[in-house]
Amino acid sequence: MAVDTATDLPASAVATRAGFWARMPRGLITVVIAVVALFVVSAILAPSSVTKGPLLGMLPFAAVLAIVALGQTLVIQQGGIDISIMGAISLTAIIATHGPGGDDSKVFPSLLAALAVLIVAGLINGFVVGRIGLNPIIATLGMNALLYAMVLAYSQGIPAMNSGLLEDLAAGLTFGIPNAVYWAILATVIVTVAVKRTVAGRKFEAVGANPTAAWAAGLRVKNQQMSAYVWAMVLYWLGGCLLAGILKQPTAYQGDSYLLPSVAAVVLGGTSLLGGRGFPVATVLGALFLSQLSNFALGLGVSFAVRTLVEALALIIGVGLYTINWKGIRARLSSRPPSGKTVPDH
Amino acid sequence: MMSSTVAVDSCLVLSGISKSFGGVHALRDVSLDVRPGEVHALLGENGAGKSTLMNIASGAFAPDTGTITVAGSVLADITPTAAKNAGIGMVHQHPAVLNDLTVAENLRLAVPRALLNVPGGARAAMQAMLDDVGCSAHLEDRVGSLSLAQRSLIELTKALVLKPRVLILDEPTAALAQDAVELLFSRVRAAAADGTGVVYITHRLAEVRQLADRVTVLRDGKYRGTSDVADVTDEELLTLIVGRQIESTFPEKAVHAASDSTFLKVTDLSNGVVSGVNVSVRTGEILGIAGVAGNGQTSLMASLAGLQKFDGSVEVNGQSLSPRNLRDRAAYLPADRHREGLMMGMSIRENAGLLALKRFLTGFLLSSRKEDAEVGSELAHLEVKAPNMDTTVSSLSGGNQQKVVLARALLSQPHLIVADEPTQGVDVGARAEIYRILRNSAASGTPVVVNSSDALELEGLCDRVLVMSRGHVVEELVGEAVTEDRIVSAAVSATTHAAGAGQGERATTRWSRFLKGDYSPVAVLAIFIVLLAMYVFSQNDRYFAAFNIASMLGLVSILGFISMGQTVAFLTGNLDLSVGPLAGFLVVIASFFVGAESTVGQIILGFLLMLLAATITGALNGVLVRFGHFTSVAATLAIYIGLQGLSYILRDGPEGIINSDIMSFLKTKWGPIPAAFVVLVLATVIFEIALRKSRWGLNLRALGSNEAIARTLGVKANRVAMLSFMTVSWFVFVGGLLLMAQIGIGDPSQGANFTLTSITAVVLGGTSLLGGRGTFVGTLLGSMLLIQVLNATTLLGLAQWSTYFAQGLLVVGAAIIYHVIRTRKQAVQ
Repeated sequence: MAVDTATDLPASAVATRAGFWARMPRGLITVVIAVVALFVVSAILAPSSVTKGPLLGMLPFAAVLAIVALGQTLVIQQGGIDISIMGAISLTAIIATHGPGGDDSKVFPSLLAALAVLIVAGLINGFVVGRIGLNPIIATLGMNALLYAMVLAYSQGIPAMNSGLLEDLAAGLTFGIPNAVYWAILATVIVTVAVKRTVAGRKFEAVGANPTAAWAAGLRVKNQQMSAYVWAMVLYWLGGCLLAGILKQPTAYQGDSYLLPSVAAVVLGGTSLLGGRGFPVATVLGALFLSQLSNFALGLGVSFAVRTLVEALALIIGVGLYTINWKGIRARLSSRPPSGKTVPDH
Repeated sequence: MMSSTVAVDSCLVLSGISKSFGGVHALRDVSLDVRPGEVHALLGENGAGKSTLMNIASGAFAPDTGTITVAGSVLADITPTAAKNAGIGMVHQHPAVLNDLTVAENLRLAVPRALLNVPGGARAAMQAMLDDVGCSAHLEDRVGSLSLAQRSLIELTKALVLKPRVLILDEPTAALAQDAVELLFSRVRAAAADGTGVVYITHRLAEVRQLADRVTVLRDGKYRGTSDVADVTDEELLTLIVGRQIESTFPEKAVHAASDSTFLKVTDLSNGVVSGVNVSVRTGEILGIAGVAGNGQTSLMASLAGLQKFDGSVEVNGQSLSPRNLRDRAAYLPADRHREGLMMGMSIRENAGLLALKRFLTGFLLSSRKEDAEVGSELAHLEVKAPNMDTTVSSLSGGNQQKVVLARALLSQPHLIVADEPTQGVDVGARAEIYRILRNSAASGTPVVVNSSDALELEGLCDRVLVMSRGHVVEELVGEAVTEDRIVSAAVSATTHAAGAGQGERATTRWSRFLKGDYSPVAVLAIFIVLLAMYVFSQNDRYFAAFNIASMLGLVSILGFISMGQTVAFLTGNLDLSVGPLAGFLVVIASFFVGAESTVGQIILGFLLMLLAATITGALNGVLVRFGHFTSVAATLAIYIGLQGLSYILRDGPEGIINSDIMSFLKTKWGPIPAAFVVLVLATVIFEIALRKSRWGLNLRALGSNEAIARTLGVKANRVAMLSFMTVSWFVFVGGLLLMAQIGIGDPSQGANFTLTSITAVVLGGTSLLGGRGTFVGTLLGSMLLIQVLNATTLLGLAQWSTYFAQGLLVVGAAIIYHVIRTRKQAVQ
């Protein structure tokens, strides 16, 4: 949208705020529409998928995906990507089940120990990427292997039962809704407030949007980039704890299935893999979309295979919406030149 | 004095050339003729249109009107290739060389093959070319590790060997030291003596006198005249260069009271680019920095903003500020607003308030009431034109964008304002307002430093101006002396030369070239593999047993081929996540056609289908990346998920035994050595040589190194990239055949692991993810080391976790070591 021509604007217009809807990012609007449409289609084509049972089954996992995808959002908006999300979730789940060994009183110390390990891992990731300047894929690939080494050293790869307390915290129902959902909402609120409403968060966004300009403005770019990996680990930790509670007996490789969906959720939410602005709420809705997509496919009775294909397609369409120059294609397809408002050439 | 008669025998005639960019006229009806054997200087201020004119002559831009005639015939279409074929050679100010390639490889890409097919061999021919221009770089030096002067000489070599009719040099001496300049001049004279018409773009009168036969002056995109150098005085030339009309209104200059003191004092500031800058600025004054673009002004500005370290001192209002202090307290307005100034995707409010956020806090959180009020009033005060403060800055005009940068600067309550080209790309109305804002800041006690390539702007705005040339202040103008004439004349008459560059450049040694080269990781890996093998053998003598060797090398073969594919992806600067699932998917396909009871026809059909599936996968990845503008991670991630889905559609579990004859054929062994491994080694050697010597390899690495430059060298980017994505999949096809023999059944859950393992192997081998640099040999050794580690943990009876531990440590350790070796030599630059 061009506003250059609007020279008749009152000089004070710039001192006002835009309306609520005008402030909504495009990715958020897209993903809201997608989620609503998906639920409508689900209700029509596979009514069973939106009944209580399947929804209660889907929601805890959607919550876990949403939380870890929030962490991935923080990293991706800084132009990175975090492969160690797999090892981090697995390690948390393993410590959360092996540590207490079914004893509720040992749950919190175990969870705190897991958190400490993950924070150290995040610091190392951040240091290697932010300070040394290593490619994030390689750095976090290595960290992932180290985290899995810890998983296997700690558990010999043998799963353990979770404790009742953890199960209550994650999978118990409050007002008929799984507790994991409340955790996800809490995480979303905290991340959003931290990014939008604190000094550090706003600088974090600016660094992601344009590190060169942020550097020229005097911001501490490397520190901000480092912090992304640490906060991401905290979110993976929360996701891993919940997963341990939901699953009763998480395996040593439980986190493996979260790398691709977490990236997919971020991308569907409109955050670019090249970095830039991050959209936490849109990511969470992207996670909900992917989870309901599986649920819907399950309701239709199609196989896991078809579900996977649909996910791939959703991802391609999701990315394509943001990256492909649709305006250019439309202009080329229609013989007449594009009319109406066009962006002036600067 | 000026005549512009066109000689009949001109080798290049530009007539009636006009060109505008987005409504701004860069050139208006400019004509120029160049005769064979002359050096024709093209003179003018910054932005006079010299480079634009020559970019049109070399085909980089098409003119709006006008024609180009080379040796009597008019160029029908104006493209780089057409201009090159017609005999126009251009040496750019910023050398268009590929940093990741060696000197020899750069020459090979740029020079026609015929010139290299000479008795004595291509190397001797290339060495002769370098000697001819006096370039002391070694043929095997990586271009990125050379000095700017050396790179300029390579650029010159590329142009000269084509024996062009017309040679265009765009300010070639900007980066050169005195001896290099003289060498360059002698080469230019020699070329002219051979009958080449030379166009020499410069800002320097001294160079015009030393070198040129005739001179043409441009001003504001208009032709001002042409003359024989001998017939024109410096004063006459200067009058042609300067004298534009003032477009904007400037605020009143500072009026000094007797009590005024110094509010900015710079003492002996040096930072490697500029040296010995001294200035005292009286309270209320605006300090201007002038000079021909690229003479250290930008670097001086960066130091004043605290972005570049410096020696010496900067005092603001009596307080001495270190670079670190300046970084926090100086407000910097960068020249390149899009890249360095603004977060284009964010709103006006978020951009403007960025450095003042602390003031908007209520407790821990930002108060939107405070933020809206303060940011809003500043924006309104600066008269930013936008519907509201949530408007994205990318949709604003240049002038309004600059005001947002100014708003951010003023809201940060700076101690010092450092404005680099503050009115570039800003319309006339907004210019006057920006001048007023800067003047108000200076008047209220905040020192303002303005760098501008527009001397007229400095005359109107500044009370004091430093004129820079090659990193030194050559003149300080104060008060009445701040005029366009004085500024331009000081800048173009300067004869100083760049310090140091080109001096004492020592030839690289074989050892240093090896360390910086692609093969140092190979040597490191080889030593590591041997040491590890010796250690494991000392612990367990079954290590070298035929069975163990065969099983290790069998696994290496599968991983090796898939990783070779991944290497191709890396070399183009991409990443292919889909390789693992593709390998698995191919095995699943095979399980339908290559079964125990399958006919020969079915088996052949099966192999063809596998090849087709691989080709389609590569093509899809390529289309998504090249035409859908997906990042390679996003594209191949989607394909990854899709391929897994397809595998599960075809088989829900392990099913479909593979034909045992085919399997045993693929598992043929010669002694303990699998035939597949021998093929892998052969393939590695062949592709390694192809990567260095063949056009395919050069194109691939050129594309990965720098796509824009590769295009100018005639590399067909889309075609090379599409082919490379398919090549990745073809390697995976071979790996998939071996995987099929290994697992012997169509199992949809197999294969995916190879994605991360192949990336690990390629990284261990030293191939850079940034593209352009790498080896297949390194990848082969990387694959061997990974399998060796896996095997060692079993033979040594170590727990499973130690495999992961070793892998993690290896990949991060190797990546850090290679990274440090590579970046250290760049830091020296």
